[in-house]
Amino acid sequence: MSFLSIRDVPKTYRSDGAVTEVLTPLSLDIARGEIVTFLGPSGCGKTTLMRMVGGLESIEAGQITLDGAVLGPPDRRRGMVFQSYAAFPWLTVRGNIAFGLRYRTDLTAEEKAEITDRYLAMVGLAGFAEAYTNRISGGMRQRVAIARTLAADPDVLLMDEPFGALDALTREHLQGQLLQINASEQKTTIFVTHDVEEAILLAHRVVIFSARPARILSVVDVAERLGGDRGHDLLRASEFQALRREIQDIIRAEYDRARQAEEAHAV
Amino acid sequence: MGLLRFRTRLPRRTEVILGLAGLFAFLVAWHLTAVSGLIKPQFLPTPWAVVEAFGRLFTERNFAADIAISIGRVWAAFALSVIVAVPLGLMMSSYRAVGATLEPFVDFVRYLPVPALVPLLIIWFGVGEASKIAVLWMGTFFQLLLLVQDDTKRVPAEFVESGFTLGASQWQIMRDIIVPASLPNIVDNLRITLGWCWTYLIIAEIVAASSGVGHVIWSLRRFVKTPEVMAGIVAIGIVGLLTDQAFRYAHRRWFRYQDRS
Repeated sequence: MSFLSIRDVPKTYRSDGAVTEVLTPLSLDIARGEIVTFLGPSGCGKTTLMRMVGGLESIEAGQITLDGAVLGPPDRRRGMVFQSYAAFPWLTVRGNIAFGLRYRTDLTAEEKAEITDRYLAMVGLAGFAEAYTNRISGGMRQRVAIARTLAADPDVLLMDEPFGALDALTREHLQGQLLQINASEQKTTIFVTHDVEEAILLAHRVVIFSARPARILSVVDVAERLGGDRGHDLLRASEFQALRREIQDIIRAEYDRARQAEEAHAV
Repeated sequence: MGLLRFRTRLPRRTEVILGLAGLFAFLVAWHLTAVSGLIKPQFLPTPWAVVEAFGRLFTERNFAADIAISIGRVWAAFALSVIVAVPLGLMMSSYRAVGATLEPFVDFVRYLPVPALVPLLIIWFGVGEASKIAVLWMGTFFQLLLLVQDDTKRVPAEFVESGFTLGASQWQIMRDIIVPASLPNIVDNLRITLGWCWTYLIIAEIVAASSGVGHVIWSLRRFVKTPEVMAGIVAIGIVGLLTDQAFRYAHRRWFRYQDRS
């Protein structure tokens, strides 16, 4: 029995009578503590699937279960980090990180303060605790969002291209920081990206999606191929490069197929 | 001189000096026109005659009491608008059913010119305070409702979705996310709406009142006391300017986190 289980879940959008198939019914099992990256072209439906896990999109058929229980509307068990900076501008960095804790009745004020301080330190923002979020950089804001989500102690961490809007240097720094956090927190994580390197670097497994309507093209067990030690040094390893080419070939073949299908459709 | 460099910033002090210079130039042009004899004094008195009339309004007519009455009416009606429009606008944007139910009606009323409602409101509420407050309320409530609905609708979906995944309930998201996220824009719209209140107040006071700034201006008109009429208009401008500045100051104080510097 896997921790997070997606079973025969499709997705279609209807607007003005037109039906768009976003996901072909697909299934995926994720173990407790596993980090899975969803890799695929923009707009393919990978984010939609992750949002369905988060309860932010309706589930029409099939089911998604967490620890055996069927998932419904969004709640604290599934924390989400968005691509756009979702840090609240009216709160300080500390206020943002503590936000989810205000709804916890099972914790004392001291425990809440202790948790907030711990995550402030974990993302390296202790020195900016009292700053408002429009005074700090985009990378720092995204660290605030990550710390805020982790502080709420979700069972599953959902990340929707969280570093997509950042410059390359900041992105690399945050990837490194996320790897460290992963090592200490051991959170079950789904991380959506269209960056092949990022997908390999962060994941235990990479799930490669087709163009819309999304199917799972392939699941690559990165942990088995590269081992557990992660970091940017890995990018130079020959096994990493081989894996990257392998995945790029799969994506390229899919891209060609999708384009041909589109052109055939257009004629 | 860098004064006319395209889209450049200026020091605060320079902006103040330019503002005062503009005002001064207007007063000089007015004065020169008035003393040139081209226009009769009963149509265009000098600026100084208006200043003198302004003083007389207070010493001879107890104008301060009229201003106080007008301000009281404006704020009473404004408060009634805000108390109903803010929560209702929030509900309209949060629950599509509430929005869909009220929007057609609100849009219809919003297009009715307020002066057209004055006779009806006088039939309903008489010529006392109630009818004046009703006029102001009708003029501002429906506009404010849609502005609040718009402000709260513009809160990014990510904020709301973050709230849900951090464990907040619907009610907690309204209180802890929608309200603080939209409050700066709402306060800005309150400031603008309060300005409209003054427009409708003068209409209401001209049509049916025995007190207030509008009534004073209208009754002085009968004796062609042009300087006093103009002084009354200036008084409204001053009150409006002071209120506006107070709102802007409060906005800066309350929403300091929006500062970028």
